[in-house]
Amino acid sequence: MGSSTALRELQRELENKANDLSKLQKDIAKNHQVRKKYTIQLGENELVLKELGLLNEGANVYKLIGPVLVKQDLAEANANVRKRIEYISAELKRLDGTVQDLEEKQNSKKEAIFKVQQRIQSLQAGKAKA
Amino acid sequence: MASSKVGVEMEKLSVEQLKAFKEQTDLEVNLLQDSLNNIRTATSRLEIASSALQDLSNRPLGSHMLVPLTASLYVPGTLDDADKVLIDIGTGYFVEKTMAEGKDYCERKINLLKSNFDQLIEVATKKKSVADDATVVLQAKLKQLAPASS
Repeated sequence: MGSSTALRELQRELENKANDLSKLQKDIAKNHQVRKKYTIQLGENELVLKELGLLNEGANVYKLIGPVLVKQDLAEANANVRKRIEYISAELKRLDGTVQDLEEKQNSKKEAIFKVQQRIQSLQAGKAKA
Repeated sequence: MASSKVGVEMEKLSVEQLKAFKEQTDLEVNLLQDSLNNIRTATSRLEIASSALQDLSNRPLGSHMLVPLTASLYVPGTLDDADKVLIDIGTGYFVEKTMAEGKDYCERKINLLKSNFDQLIEVATKKKSVADDATVVLQAKLKQLAPASS
């Protein structure tokens, strides 16, 4: 009788842990998606910066704001894009940190689940013998 | 050499591991294929832009044209200045360039995309062969297991 309640307890624990794990995995997937988006933006911004670098001093640069093109200084545009690249790089680094953190949590969760499973198995084996 | 080494390693994996590995590589192959398609469409768009510029530069000043405002509404116009073009360089920035510079821009972008495409296609073929190898090994394993279990 005692062993069956313990078993039930363990199974509940296992279920909780499995839920946590799937939540973690969802978070990781979401993080990866955001990371991908930022990586694409970073690439685009770098291309723009390269293109701006190729321009002459007096070149006319326009910025699309809503449906209108607004004339902008080359230097200002350059600074803008540079700042954006900085921001995106920092954001990417931060995301890398969170992903690593989440992956560590995921691994420890997996281990914990494995241990609970083992305990359930040993309990069941003991019951089968008895 | 490398692929045979991978093959040996694949032999050692269990069926479950192999399945996971195959799924992973298949996913990567699909991702690379998508990227290749994107590059292809981007290249063709740039080629269209390039030929449009070519076309525009051949027209005499003051020639009449109909400018599309929407897909079904056109207004008449005359060509005023064919030497200055606005180029969208991405992230909302537009740059005024001369016709020659505009053409040069398209050429450069097309070449960049082509070199990226070539690099990517190499990676994609390698991944594809790894995925195919995994499929073959997995099927062989399943065949080995089938008579044992039945």
